[in-house]
Amino acid sequence: MSQGYPITIYKEPDLRRSSLVLGWSEDIGNLGRKVTDYLNWKLRGQEFAEIEPEDFFSLGGVGIRDNVAQFSESKFYACPEHELVIFQSDPPGAEWHEFLTSVLDVAEHHCQTKELYLLGAMVSFDAHTAPRQLLAVVNSAEMKEVLGQYALARDMDYQTAPGERPTLNSFLLWIAKGRNIPGVSLWVPIPFYLAAMEDAQAQKKVLSFLNERLGLRIDFSDLDQEIRKQNEQLARARSRFPQIDDYINRLESNLMLSEEENGELIKRIEDFLREGG
Amino acid sequence: MGIRLYQDPQLEKPILVASWPGIGNIGIMAANTLRGVLGAEEFGEIEPWDFFYPKRVLIRKGILEYLGFPSSKFYFKKTEGKDIMLFIGEEQPTEGGRMYAEGRKAYHMANLVLDVAEKFKCRRVYTSGAAVALTHHTAKPRVWAVPNSESLIPEIKRYENTVLMSDIEGRGGHGNITGLNGLLLGVAKKRGLEAICLMGEIPVYLQGLPLSYPKASKSVLEVLSHSLKTEVNLDKLDELDREVERKIEEFYQQIPSEIRGQLDRLRHVAYAQPAEPGPITEAEEKKIMEDVEKFFKKRGGGG
Repeated sequence: MSQGYPITIYKEPDLRRSSLVLGWSEDIGNLGRKVTDYLNWKLRGQEFAEIEPEDFFSLGGVGIRDNVAQFSESKFYACPEHELVIFQSDPPGAEWHEFLTSVLDVAEHHCQTKELYLLGAMVSFDAHTAPRQLLAVVNSAEMKEVLGQYALARDMDYQTAPGERPTLNSFLLWIAKGRNIPGVSLWVPIPFYLAAMEDAQAQKKVLSFLNERLGLRIDFSDLDQEIRKQNEQLARARSRFPQIDDYINRLESNLMLSEEENGELIKRIEDFLREGG
Repeated sequence: MGIRLYQDPQLEKPILVASWPGIGNIGIMAANTLRGVLGAEEFGEIEPWDFFYPKRVLIRKGILEYLGFPSSKFYFKKTEGKDIMLFIGEEQPTEGGRMYAEGRKAYHMANLVLDVAEKFKCRRVYTSGAAVALTHHTAKPRVWAVPNSESLIPEIKRYENTVLMSDIEGRGGHGNITGLNGLLLGVAKKRGLEAICLMGEIPVYLQGLPLSYPKASKSVLEVLSHSLKTEVNLDKLDELDREVERKIEEFYQQIPSEIRGQLDRLRHVAYAQPAEPGPITEAEEKKIMEDVEKFFKKRGGGG
């Protein structure tokens, strides 16, 4: 074990030209965690390093999720067969620059990382029946060119709105740019009424891209089954509750719902899915 | 994490005016006005990475082109009166979701600012902020001055429209200055530098509004310009004041008439002598504060 605060390396990974996939927990639709969990499971990722939490997270107690006490984690997993590093972490609450620099230090100095893939989700006002898109923001024109062969929306224009702040992924992408590490921040829009739940379709959209880009050869039949299950649950919700069906019909016709209707749709779908659909 | 100086101006015992945002943006507006009026030149900055989370991103055609951080910049101006250095921080480096800077980062930033001040042989520092007071928005705000050394009190007593904490009723010379506008005074004291915080009065019922209060910035600048022996044209600040005053009047009319009636009484508070009590009793003062607090709570947090 080697340690250079705040990084602890348990075992040097055998990587020569890796790509790093990063997912945050507490993401919209739990996308970052679900996708990185899935990759770790499918590719048998081995934990090899972590970033110590004390400078980056509030340690004034623990949070509870699904009845279980949680503790902030920032862990690296290696999949040497695929030249892949997976970083899964809670988003830090302080010392962001030092934290993100540490992520890149591990990637560069211990994993010979050549490219970054940062996962993120955004709220969409489309219905769940609309196909998921995948948007890409890159930190170099070269990377944009390289990604030209994939089905990505690559021409996004965006400027921080008043009162908002850039995302951690933008921050990391910018630091990586300063270190000449090409990277892409991937954004998948998730229907707003699934934002607090999970969206298997969105997960597959991201995973399919990574599968193709990184040559991972993953069999997605299990995820397809998840998608079918979720679609069936949502179809049942629509047939059982005409109000839900009406709202989703309107979204499918590109009509906006009122704020109140949005709230009601969210609540009804969440209740329905939590009760097992 | 450090300082970047783009040039090495030749300054003679400069005075430093430093400010960060706070209630009513009183100090920062005073510093920014001074910078504009003097035509002060930027000569350095404190690198933001370890103090701040970025505040702006610009993505064009899918490429991340720019990531902007809150700035912390130094300016200078050689004048006939005294050479002036300005430090203007766009944000306070807060930790743990607090509103004002405190702790390790704040202390570090205060030290970096004073490192630059001392490099240029500065021995006098001014900071500026807000003094939340039982006053009315139609009244000329006074300036509460807090020095970091007893030896500065006689000088402050000669400033116009300025009071010491001991002049404020019920304060007994005590109080506190939150955030970096206050902390810098302490760090300067530790280093043996003279420092004075000038706080422009802002009416208690305006402290929670997302509005600047240029009237108080003007009071602060009047004191500063005297102290810096530099004439400062305040026309722009007057213009801004008229604009803000209109918004304040609109807000004021929304306050329930019962509370407004209480606040109206503050129009007539006049301080002939700094220590002279106004025509409002302590009990009335307490009632006004309670009513204002209730009103803001009802409005949902005072903004």
